[in-house]
Amino acid sequence: MSLFLASVGFGLITAAVLAIAAVGFTLQFAVTDVLNLAFASVMTAGAFTAYLVNQAGLSVWVGLVAAMAAGSLLSALLNYLVYAPFQRRGSAPITLVIVSLGMALIIEFGIAGFSGGIGVSYRMSQGSTVRLGGLVLTTVQLTIMAVSVMVMVSVHGLLRYTKLGKAMRATAANRMLARNCGVRAGRVIALTWALTGALCGLAGTVFAINVGTFDPTSTDIFLILILAAVFLGGPGNAYGAMLGALVIGLATEISAAYMQADYKYAIAFVILLAMLAVRPAGLLGTRT
Amino acid sequence: MYYLIILSVYAAVDIIACLGLSQQFGVAGVTNFGFIIFQAAGAYVAAVLALPPDTANGGFQVYVGGFSLPFPLPWLGAAAAGGLLALPFTFLFGRRLRGDFAAVGLLVTAVLLNLLVTNYRPLFNGDAGLAAVPTPLSSGMFVETSKAYQYAFAIAGLVVAGAAYWFVRRITESPYGRTLRAMRDNDKVADSLGKNIVALRTGALVLGGAIAGLSGAVLVSFIGVWAPSAWSYAETIVLFTAVIIGGAGNHAGAVLGAVLVPVAFEEVTRFINNSDPTLPPNLLPSLQWVAIGLLITLFLWLRPRGVLPERKRVIAVPETGPADAQPAARVRFEKKDEILRASRVSREYGGVRAVAGVSLSIRSGTLTGLIGPNGAGKSTLLALLAGTEKVSAGQIVYRGRDITALPAYRRARAGLVRTFQLASEFKRLTVLENLIAAAPAHRGDSFFGAVAGRRYWGADESRAIARAAALIDSFGLSAHANDYAGDLSGGQRRLVEIMRALMAEPDLLLLDEPMAGVYPELARRIGAALRRLCEQGMAILMVEHELAIMDEFCDPVVVMADGAILAEGTMAELRDRAEVVEAYLVG
Repeated sequence: MSLFLASVGFGLITAAVLAIAAVGFTLQFAVTDVLNLAFASVMTAGAFTAYLVNQAGLSVWVGLVAAMAAGSLLSALLNYLVYAPFQRRGSAPITLVIVSLGMALIIEFGIAGFSGGIGVSYRMSQGSTVRLGGLVLTTVQLTIMAVSVMVMVSVHGLLRYTKLGKAMRATAANRMLARNCGVRAGRVIALTWALTGALCGLAGTVFAINVGTFDPTSTDIFLILILAAVFLGGPGNAYGAMLGALVIGLATEISAAYMQADYKYAIAFVILLAMLAVRPAGLLGTRT
Repeated sequence: MYYLIILSVYAAVDIIACLGLSQQFGVAGVTNFGFIIFQAAGAYVAAVLALPPDTANGGFQVYVGGFSLPFPLPWLGAAAAGGLLALPFTFLFGRRLRGDFAAVGLLVTAVLLNLLVTNYRPLFNGDAGLAAVPTPLSSGMFVETSKAYQYAFAIAGLVVAGAAYWFVRRITESPYGRTLRAMRDNDKVADSLGKNIVALRTGALVLGGAIAGLSGAVLVSFIGVWAPSAWSYAETIVLFTAVIIGGAGNHAGAVLGAVLVPVAFEEVTRFINNSDPTLPPNLLPSLQWVAIGLLITLFLWLRPRGVLPERKRVIAVPETGPADAQPAARVRFEKKDEILRASRVSREYGGVRAVAGVSLSIRSGTLTGLIGPNGAGKSTLLALLAGTEKVSAGQIVYRGRDITALPAYRRARAGLVRTFQLASEFKRLTVLENLIAAAPAHRGDSFFGAVAGRRYWGADESRAIARAAALIDSFGLSAHANDYAGDLSGGQRRLVEIMRALMAEPDLLLLDEPMAGVYPELARRIGAALRRLCEQGMAILMVEHELAIMDEFCDPVVVMADGAILAEGTMAELRDRAEVVEAYLVG
């Protein structure tokens, strides 16, 4: 297998994990108007929930469901106890960003305090390897990709065909107008937190499965990839985030094959800054 | 005692850094989540300026340069480096980008630069960083450890901190500092009053960066080592916590915050024993970060202005003679000369044409009314003329000059000033400050003017205060001259806005519903005052819904509907035209 094909394989897996997180992040931002920098910490909380379930002797896939529940609950609580009160008071968006950084510290280092901050791994088998047209992937990696595709299809279905999805889009476009048209914006926002929180917990667990060994700070850098994917596609645009995740996932892993692996994030960083400078509305976005 | 000396050096470093952040974030409203980069860069530059070339020490560490420069050149170089480093980031803080997006861009930069420096050895020596940085004025290669020396260093550090305090205060309390605070409260309005937002934000980034660089230099000169692990992005949050707890915008608060948070909280707890084997490792440092997160959130909720809130700048109002009582226009043009011509101006928003091919001419000495139903495109037209929005097509000529591509602040400086439909006062400036901030060509309204000091700009300031006080008096708001504009009633805030626009000495004034929410008696007084200004040669274009006002004061009146001009004439003529009555007067 060539170096290039191998890096494409890694890129697709990274993109699969990234897409779940980026879609969650961008929907959260679109509907709730909070640029939630604690997102990566909630991912970590999900990953550690799955770890605890896994340590209790259950399969990591059971842990994954528990992680989704934990992410959902934690995000809903963050909104209910912190972000919503600040928003009701009319705080500036930048205040909420600072608050979300505070929340990120509390969650990340809260976990680090009790886990000891050392790297841990799930007890699981990577499964047999499968050859797919030049790519060699494990069944676990294939499962992650399948889960990601399922999530993308579900998000599309949700936004396109369900009442909740339409209400979410309406709230994202204009909260006041949506409210006046009979959308219960508060409830839609609370549901969005729960839903995107579940995506966040899911993303955290598949991220942890994918990297093998993780600690509470592992997702710090991943947040850069999420932000790059989100801003590439256009903040608030779910399809943009999917496209962004694919581009960023492939770009980082393919560049890693030809440079030292530590620098692979540089390309995501350059894309992010270039988008902020030139086209902050993103490739698919109209929102500024 | 020895411990106290070390602590005062750390205090000096944190105070300097917090002052830089207070100036940048608290005064100018520029949120730089990458602040630590500037401190780290300053420290690195100070180190390599002081170190000999890296071949001299047997190559045990690699670094850029190595100049063996004597004190204080490394510290000055560090400040310069911190300031210069700000320049590449200024693109993030242009007019177009949301402040929170820019902040995220800088946060990401901080995380990534740290990662790269840690992993790339050839340039910055990687994870190991630098060691054996010479201490200032010491003879040997190694860190000077005598007690007297450390004593002197602590005092020197505190002196630098004192100088930094003096400097940022001089800037903040100048007219330039007032402009920075106005931009913080509402950048779009500051832009419309002739303030160059990009330049102001660049200035705030450069000054904050230079001060951060200096603080890094003091630290690295004292401890003699530099390593990327000490400059993680989270350290920026500690400094933000300090400034917010102390009181953003109040430099004394920044000093207090620096002593409370980074010093008392971080440095002191370094000396607490954390070796209890029954507890998880790293518990204490982790809980410290949790506490920082809790502190910043709780303070933003319970006391968002901090322990020492920004204090109100009360300005003594001079006695005004009756001669100054009325606002006067600068008469620079013959009456009835065309001052502005818009030709087929359009603006589209994603396929919707808010303004569709409007041609309009405005003459000096006239008070032109602009009416039309909601959504007719009146406010958008005003925004296009003032430069707040860019035209999609068409041309705007002002005083014989094509200004279509000119940004809003340059149009304002040329005498084309607008007000806004929504409340747009500078909330945390007093009424007087709101007005003075708009005074054009103020000598103190630049960085160098501010540094030059009151002796340089005091005369301009007195003149501006006198003019503002006279304006406030003529509109009957003297009792509120030293109240925060954000605390006034809706009608009073409209008045502040009109007075502020007049303060900018416009030749053409664009008013967007200036009488909305103003009681009828006062509305008529405003109308009469505007009329008088027009008689002196000013041109005014006014959007208004109250037809009685149009009847009484405006001639001609322009009617807009669906983004186009429907008719133009006196109110009496318009009432006779069926399509106007149908579009607006009835419906």
